[in-house]
Amino acid sequence: MSASRAERLEQLARLCRSGREGPPPRIEPSGSANLDAVLPGGGWQSGTIVELMPMSDGIGELRLLMPALAKITQGERHVAMIAPPYIPFAPALLRHGLRLEHFWIIRAQSAADILWSAEQTLRCKSFGAVLAWPSAIRDREVRRLQLAAEAGSSIGFVYRQPSAARESSPAAVRLRLQTDVTGQLSIDVVKCRGARAGMSVDIAPALA
Amino acid sequence: MLWLCITLPQLPLEALQCEQSERPTVVTILEGSVRSVVCCNPAAERVGLKQEMNFTTALAILPEVIAMERRLSAEQAALERLATWAYQFSGTVILGEVFADVQRARTTALWLEIGASLRLFGGFRKLIEQLEAELGKLSYSYQLGIAPTLEGAALLARTGVRVAITTVAALRARIENVSVHWLNLDPWIPQQLQTVGVRTVGLLVALPRDGVAKRFGPEACNYLDRLIGAAPDPRPTYRLPPQYHARFEFEAEIHSTEALLFPLQRMLREFVGFLRARDTGVQKFTLRFIHRDAVATVINVGLSMPDRSSERFLTLARERLEHTVLPSGSVALELSADEFAMPTGLNVDMLSGATEQSEELGYTIDRIVARLGENQVHGVMAVAEHRPEDSWATAAPETRRQHLDFPDRPLWLLPEPKPLQLSGMPALTGAERIESGWWDGGDVRRDYFIARTQQGAALWIFKDLRDGSWHLHGFWS
Repeated sequence: MSASRAERLEQLARLCRSGREGPPPRIEPSGSANLDAVLPGGGWQSGTIVELMPMSDGIGELRLLMPALAKITQGERHVAMIAPPYIPFAPALLRHGLRLEHFWIIRAQSAADILWSAEQTLRCKSFGAVLAWPSAIRDREVRRLQLAAEAGSSIGFVYRQPSAARESSPAAVRLRLQTDVTGQLSIDVVKCRGARAGMSVDIAPALA
Repeated sequence: MLWLCITLPQLPLEALQCEQSERPTVVTILEGSVRSVVCCNPAAERVGLKQEMNFTTALAILPEVIAMERRLSAEQAALERLATWAYQFSGTVILGEVFADVQRARTTALWLEIGASLRLFGGFRKLIEQLEAELGKLSYSYQLGIAPTLEGAALLARTGVRVAITTVAALRARIENVSVHWLNLDPWIPQQLQTVGVRTVGLLVALPRDGVAKRFGPEACNYLDRLIGAAPDPRPTYRLPPQYHARFEFEAEIHSTEALLFPLQRMLREFVGFLRARDTGVQKFTLRFIHRDAVATVINVGLSMPDRSSERFLTLARERLEHTVLPSGSVALELSADEFAMPTGLNVDMLSGATEQSEELGYTIDRIVARLGENQVHGVMAVAEHRPEDSWATAAPETRRQHLDFPDRPLWLLPEPKPLQLSGMPALTGAERIESGWWDGGDVRRDYFIARTQQGAALWIFKDLRDGSWHLHGFWS
């Protein structure tokens, strides 16, 4: 399937921008070689928005990011969770190596406040990654977050409903997450800048 | 001594409103039975209205002209705010008088001794450039004059002489041909001088002093001597108050938040001038919106670290203001602060990038807190507790570095354990008993398991050993 006209234009604009601007994007390895092989740049790339669409809660949708988040907080940059659906459990975060003095929870309620907070934190150079759970998000808003992430060279992880995979989105990377009865997380690459879409990656379960 | 005089010819108007109106507007006062125009905005001047004009005449020229009543208290308050602001340029600031009469309403002034500041700022040009850049942002009309005497500097400012005069001799030569009308004398004196043919300052100064004193009073005589530096001119200097308190009275009730931003912006800039003068910053300040028939609305603006940037202050105050419902229109605005602290990241360019970054973090968090509320932004910490629900707490990030050892725990915790109806026993793994002892309330006896759903999700569930009920407590996300 060929990319839409809008997407091509965006790629072109990005090319122009990347030619002008100095620092190359930072890459955070995901902690899984299988996944890194698929991701553009070989890991989570700063200045991008990644959409994650888990089939349900409790399939490893957060654990997937923990190696990168731990590394970001250990490297003196901050991580924010905006409107998480449950309580990020401090003992587990510590076990995953997060430095809690660099971790923020922002309890925004309305869709507008959630997106606004995400934009502010992404734009701020002190934040390396921002995780957001917006109740709804439109293309225009994804694009705004994209620009904010570029300005702050941070990574934006946006959690969405699995049904969102059927819609298009300007996000650079879109991953659908599911698991089987054994707990093996399988990641469908719905979209990936760099044309590797349609692939699937399996990550072994962390729990016996 | 070298004095810089700032005269404020439009103060009667600008003390009451700070945005330029496109509609012809005048300020008037009633003297005896005559109402006269004190000052006009540019739109009013364009249609031919002038100061000292009879208001009846003004109405005849433009019946729809907007007229405001002059308010001396507002001018005095504005002058004091400016004096506090001016302190950043000089340690010696003198406040002029706010004259009640129409003729001298446009001569209100303040003075800064700049002889001592010149070296600090690197010369005349740099000092004046910085002063004008700051003064321009406050949206006051002003004129500047520099001379070795107070009245000399004021006279140069009023007549628009933008040359720094540094000696008394040069001052005398410079003002020789200036009309006596410009002098700061009772208005009847210049009129009489004109009729006897004394038209210029040079001619007046050359007259024998006792003659002048006899005809115009010793006051006038003394004024002339102070003007040309022949007599001392001691005046009380303005003292910087230990706390900051400023008030802005509006000409009319302001109802829209947008319109409140103009006076707010000016006040914050003046406030920052005060902070610079004291060489300090603030971590919190208070805004009070005064209403006619309601209790004042108080907004406390807090910052995560001491700061003195009027732009950042404005962003925070604006965010708070947009989320505040004012009970009615505002007739005045007050700004106060009583605790000061040196901003940490002031010399960011000289320090490492880390300071700059933490300053940016503080600023971002402040903005989010201003919009969402204090309790909506926090960090988390682990607590050495058996009960899972007590083994974490909200906390301010930054402070703690933790090394607590916990068994494997799920990333998501439910705010409250949720009762579960189990239809058939799922596959359970990772059994762990969590009990609190008799010394510790003894209220928890649970067996925790990891349960795998048909879809493969991993739940953290427990059986309450006291009544055998099952609960969901988290997700292995």
